Amino acid sequence: MTATAQRSDRTKVGGRLAGRGDLTAFLMQLCEEVEADCYLLLAMHQTHDGPQPEIVSSNWIYDAIQLAGHALIAALAQGPLATGPGIRPQSVTTAQPGTIDGVLDSEEARMLDVLGHGEIFSLRLHIGHQRLFLLLSSADAGIIDPAKLSKIQFNCCYALSQMPELLSASRLQDPLSDRERECLFWVSEGKTTDDVAMILGVSSNTVNSYITHAIQKLSASNRAMAIATAIRNGII
Amino acid sequence: MKRRLFSAPIVEQNTAPLGVKVPAQTSATGKLPDAVRHCRWIATDLNAEHFGVYMLNVSSEGVTMTACFDSNYPEFCRAAPQLAGIDRKQLARHARASTAPCWWGKNAAFADVMQDLPFAPRIGASDISTSGLAFPVNTERGQSGVVVFSGTELMAEADSIHEFHGRCFSLFEAVYRIRRTEAERAPAISRRELECLRLTSAGCTSEEIARQLKLSVHTANQYLTQTAQKLNAVNRMHAVAKALRLGLIG
Repeated sequence: MTATAQRSDRTKVGGRLAGRGDLTAFLMQLCEEVEADCYLLLAMHQTHDGPQPEIVSSNWIYDAIQLAGHALIAALAQGPLATGPGIRPQSVTTAQPGTIDGVLDSEEARMLDVLGHGEIFSLRLHIGHQRLFLLLSSADAGIIDPAKLSKIQFNCCYALSQMPELLSASRLQDPLSDRERECLFWVSEGKTTDDVAMILGVSSNTVNSYITHAIQKLSASNRAMAIATAIRNGII
Repeated sequence: MKRRLFSAPIVEQNTAPLGVKVPAQTSATGKLPDAVRHCRWIATDLNAEHFGVYMLNVSSEGVTMTACFDSNYPEFCRAAPQLAGIDRKQLARHARASTAPCWWGKNAAFADVMQDLPFAPRIGASDISTSGLAFPVNTERGQSGVVVFSGTELMAEADSIHEFHGRCFSLFEAVYRIRRTEAERAPAISRRELECLRLTSAGCTSEEIARQLKLSVHTANQYLTQTAQKLNAVNRMHAVAKALRLGLIG
């Protein structure tokens, strides 16, 4: 088998995606199947100042990402455009941004249109308990067939499910040790330090030190925030 | 076999434009028996005899599965035939880490179809008489679950797996909303109280909350105490955890 044949074999749905190169090849092939021009795969992080997008993979030109800005990209991905699996997707047409109210103002729409994003879809992807968004766009409206997107969406979920390590490298994963997670879990169940010490059979000082470490690792400012961060990221 | 690619939504989808907040309660019009009926339709199309819908919860013992309903609704099957011979822990771990459907059993026709799907892993089963197919699902709010079908004559076409999976996603979203509405029905928590709770979850102290919301520290504390009581929580950390798990705050 030639190298190219091998590669295309691997990037076929269900073929193992081994690294970033395969991810790019897979997403490009996905675009080809639905005749989309651009893809942008992003993760959302909950922070102090609301959701922050992190771009995992994209073939948008650099200036388009800079001009659009993270806030607009987040709004496009997460807003009313976002379609869960199994639902027929809706798009926004930048030439007529009124099609879905409130996603884009006319200025933003014009900018995206000029940058080559005539019609944009947002697919919500689930990789186990992790959530990602895939923006697919074409330069001209009416090119992408929404009926084809549902299958694409699942193929993407299935393929990305096989490479959690690539996604986790950049995301807040589970940085806690088993003991720290256990302590945090019991605190989130309303137990006091002394209760947790009793449950785990260690001293209260040890419990406090586990929790302090957990707070630091989650870069939280106190217990309540550490618990909130841990729940939002599916750690507890 | 009847195909329903985009089956009629069990619960009306929330398609309000950005910035217009639709209260979650108004969109949840479905009832659990409707959801069970939908699940039965999917089971019929898969030629499955048993089914079950489970929520996944992470506790100190790892990932656990909690049944929402199964084919014996409104009762629960004690023997859980849809999970016969399956290591529940393994299934739960898989569904939390991956969205790929997994399957088991030795029914030749079914196995032939599934073996050709490289993304769908086979999991070990000790009971060989039935085959099973499990679809990991998630809600928009991030609750994970798994929808399980089993039977001796289970059958699916390779091309229709993603359609079934789509229907399972819609089903689970509906089940989750129904359960959340039930949970919310208890005491009404005011917007102000929720705002305090949200700020607490962002790491703010009572003083900071008071400053941001232009309240006295005393009032902020009182709001948080009331919220904790309404949520049946023993302290504010417990209240934050409960509110997040119920989806009251994002």
